[in-house]
Amino acid sequence: MATRWREWLTGWAFVFPAVALFAVMGVYTIGSGLALSFASWNGFTPEWIWVGLENYADLLWADPSLAPGVRRAAWNTLQVCVAVPLLTVLISLPLAVTLNSVRRLRGLLRSVYFLPYVTTGIATYYAWRYLLEPEGSINLMLRSAGLGSLAQPQGWLANPSTALWTLILILVWSAVPTATLLYLTGLQAIDPSMVEAARIDGAAPRQVLRRIIVPLLTPMTAGIVLLGVRDSLHGFQIFLIMTNGGPGGHTNVLALETYELAFFKGLAPTLGLSSALGWLLFVGAVLLTLANARLLRRVR
Amino acid sequence: MTAARIAKTAAYAALTIYAALSLYPFLWMVSGAFKTREEILDGGHLIPREPTFDTILTTWNQLAFVDYFRNSLIVTGLTVLGVLVVYSLASYAFAVLRFPGAKTLYWLFVALLFVPGITVLLPVVILENRLGLLGTHMGLVLPFVNGTAPLTVLLLTAAYRSVPKELREAARADGASEARIFLRVYLPLTRPAHITIAVLTAVPTWNEYVLSRVSLNDESLYTLPLGLESLISGTVVRYNEVLAASLIMVLPVIAIFAFLQRYFVNGLVGAVKG
Repeated sequence: MATRWREWLTGWAFVFPAVALFAVMGVYTIGSGLALSFASWNGFTPEWIWVGLENYADLLWADPSLAPGVRRAAWNTLQVCVAVPLLTVLISLPLAVTLNSVRRLRGLLRSVYFLPYVTTGIATYYAWRYLLEPEGSINLMLRSAGLGSLAQPQGWLANPSTALWTLILILVWSAVPTATLLYLTGLQAIDPSMVEAARIDGAAPRQVLRRIIVPLLTPMTAGIVLLGVRDSLHGFQIFLIMTNGGPGGHTNVLALETYELAFFKGLAPTLGLSSALGWLLFVGAVLLTLANARLLRRVR
Repeated sequence: MTAARIAKTAAYAALTIYAALSLYPFLWMVSGAFKTREEILDGGHLIPREPTFDTILTTWNQLAFVDYFRNSLIVTGLTVLGVLVVYSLASYAFAVLRFPGAKTLYWLFVALLFVPGITVLLPVVILENRLGLLGTHMGLVLPFVNGTAPLTVLLLTAAYRSVPKELREAARADGASEARIFLRVYLPLTRPAHITIAVLTAVPTWNEYVLSRVSLNDESLYTLPLGLESLISGTVVRYNEVLAASLIMVLPVIAIFAFLQRYFVNGLVGAVKG
């Protein structure tokens, strides 16, 4: 009995710092954020005004100055959430398989591929902005390759029809490093004798890839897709820094809209709306994850 | 040429193309940092015609880089330290010790993975404003540490579970205390996982912009991303200086990563298997 108590106390002592930090930074912020989503407040008046579900209704349909913008941001967010994980897998899986098949330069290439992850953030986003300018190197390269018709004279981020997809590609560019590294570790865990046996039975390299390697990597793919969806829903730093939602809301996403409502509306009482939108985003994240998990289970 | 030879050449060609793509913005960062104000305007060529060090020097003198570096190091250093101490203890308890509430707490921490940072950003700012933490470095570190909880607990618990239980039993039979077993048996065996966590925490913290932007007002407390931003907020953007500043900001991260890379990759392998 005494030893049992001792083990319990030791356990609680070990988790105490994490729980204490969570109690202050987590419980309170989640609780008050949820409460605020049912109130109207501008951040300065002493009292919140309780409005029930009004904030949610305004965001989803009731307020004509808000709802259409939110719906558009939701559509943009959904495109990002589907396209980024999908393209990341489509690029990093073949990249990892190819890298795993060569011997020379493998270590060097692996480091080079990882560079975008290490440097991603404001510094790289500014570099991309420079490259995507009207006279930037992307346009100049297209022109000198005789593909001048594809160049964007207003710049890739200023043209409403290219801005969102340009950002999606940059997001993929920064997501490929970790995905490739995860696939490489997955490939190294595959028992070589299994591949060897299939080859002796006369399977062509393509069949080995399709029937053995890709199925064995499915758990890894599931993880990459789940984390990719989460990052696309949660992250908006790139949208804030590179376009700030422009041109004309064409790259606005839900997280960015939440941020704008929270910090850039002056004295307008939008803090409750911002909280409500934040929680809608949370519900979206959970639903998308469940849908994804289901889809992946069926594929397996 | 045989078929195998052709396949190999094609493989290297594809790998080289993606390597170029990975390096692309970085190469232009280096190139722009050595161009003059005039030369950057007619862009197009990667190798500067008349490379100059002046751009890097002017940029360095124009911004308080020493302050920004110190501030970024403080914030990133304390965050990494906090994450490693707080969550290695908690993960050890989840993986090894038996006590009431262990399972519930573990799943609570993991479930936080789904709470978007933006959803709690406003309450964090309101709370810190009340506690007088807003605008301080500690006010950044605490939410950053708390924000890494889900992934860190997930990875470290898996790492500790992969340590054979017999080692702990043997140490206990020798009379070692729980703290001693944790420090002398588990930590040394799971070092790669801790380095992986350190890198996965340090990189986004070093680049964090959103919370820093809304909470830091005092320019002497600015971190590198905020310093970098001040270069681009003017009406005329001098891209050679922006690129030079970007280069100054990313070089230390690249250097540290190059140094830790081996452990990082091993830690990731361990975490994935565990």
